[in-house]
Amino acid sequence: MTPRVFSPLVLFLVIGFLIGPFFIIVAASLSGGETLAFPPQGFSLKWVAKVFTVESFRESFAISMLLAIGGTAAALVLGVPASYALSRYKLPFGETIRTIVSLPIIVPGIIVGLALLRYIVVPFGFNITLTLFLAHTALVLPYAVRVVSASLNNLRSDIEEAAVLLGSSRAGAFFRVVMPNIRSGILAAFILGFVTSFNQVPVSLFLSGPGVRTLPIDMLSYMEITYDPSVAALSALLAFMSIGIVFLAERFLGFSRYV
Amino acid sequence: MFQNRAEALALALPAAVFAAIVFLAPVVILLAEGFRNADSWSLSAYTTFFSDPLNRTVFLRTFRLGLMVTAVSAVIGYAAAFAIVNLTPRNKGQMIGLVVLPLMISSVARTYAWIVILGRTGIVNQALQLVGLSDEPIRFLFTETAVFIGLLQLFLPLMILSLISALENMPKDAIPAARVLGANWFQVFFKVILPLTKEGLVIGGTLVFTGSLTAYITPAILGGSKVLMLETLLYQRVTVANDFVAASVIAFILIVMSFAANLLLKRLATARNKR
Repeated sequence: MTPRVFSPLVLFLVIGFLIGPFFIIVAASLSGGETLAFPPQGFSLKWVAKVFTVESFRESFAISMLLAIGGTAAALVLGVPASYALSRYKLPFGETIRTIVSLPIIVPGIIVGLALLRYIVVPFGFNITLTLFLAHTALVLPYAVRVVSASLNNLRSDIEEAAVLLGSSRAGAFFRVVMPNIRSGILAAFILGFVTSFNQVPVSLFLSGPGVRTLPIDMLSYMEITYDPSVAALSALLAFMSIGIVFLAERFLGFSRYV
Repeated sequence: MFQNRAEALALALPAAVFAAIVFLAPVVILLAEGFRNADSWSLSAYTTFFSDPLNRTVFLRTFRLGLMVTAVSAVIGYAAAFAIVNLTPRNKGQMIGLVVLPLMISSVARTYAWIVILGRTGIVNQALQLVGLSDEPIRFLFTETAVFIGLLQLFLPLMILSLISALENMPKDAIPAARVLGANWFQVFFKVILPLTKEGLVIGGTLVFTGSLTAYITPAILGGSKVLMLETLLYQRVTVANDFVAASVIAFILIVMSFAANLLLKRLATARNKR
């Protein structure tokens, strides 16, 4: 078989395998039946509507949002200065520092969650929500440093040296010269961090307490006890949210340059 | 380059100290726990762990599934990447977008879809009964096959993307040259394409392999307690048996694998920069 015939077939099958399941979730969530099925039995929006009435989904959605927004913001507050130091200064132990801040990407999340539970939550009686917040901040930190560093490396460093020579303070040069130029990099880091944190499961697995759990964890436990299409509906809604965010980011920021 | 070291440290240390306290310290203590017995250093946790046949089964299964997913994703990945790089630039961009798209979707959602497809009343079973290939629903969920399919769907995009960039960096006329010289497609692949894209294959393979090895959601949803993998075993050891020593052993195995993979990727990246 020549590639000419072969290629479209391969693409059709592979893309179908990758994207197909997503359409099936969407279809299953629009079912009028009582259990999860495909093809859906009739059409209704009742399961989509039900998602918004499940109390635990609302609570865990709020927590996940809080973690994703707050954690990513905190990671940027730590990560932007660190990236700046890494790209513009002769930083002592630079490689060590770079390795330490990028560790959270390498170490599997479930281990981090367990370690935090065992050595921070249990012995010190640390608040679960606060621990989750710290864990999500650490998790996003490597992405923040990587994306902001890439953005800083694309910016010539002589413009801020010029600003300093012309009498600006170092901080002034950073806020007035550097920041406006890396704004879209920071926004890209925020979006990547948000999506990563929001979809994150393993880190949060051990870090749930009474009334406190993230949305993906809540979905996991919901689907263990119920076999109705509401998890499919919620999955579809979340997928549309992620795709929408990334699509807008790509459209307005050229997101893929940074990732 | 600015020379002020104190200023540099003041900027970088908060992030480093934060990561060290929230991240590094607890993980290191957890790993150390697996090497302690009473008050001395010992490997007894490891011998105990591997003397349990269930643990050995899970350990081997995790590696076997990881290797299978990597191998199959490499075969499919080459076919798909080859087809994509030969498209017109416009179509190529759209195809790459479709390959990246699933990476943006929560893996809970992506894995959940397979319940609809592979479940007792799922599409596959309905189709099989419709054609008369089977009278009763066949159990696909909670089998290794289901976990394999789920992992493949989760990580295939990473392999395709690495191979696309490897194929694009290949000299354009290498394949036509080999064809003109009389090589058949089999020879073209093994003698020309494979050696020239080896690096991309290793990068993609490492990402897929470590991803599969450290997956939690897919084995949890599609494998359950019937098809445990290392991460689901870890979760079960802690929640069911409160066995933190076994958890520490599993954590160590997973971390060593992740670091080895990461080191390999870093080596490749520096080797490429030198060229």
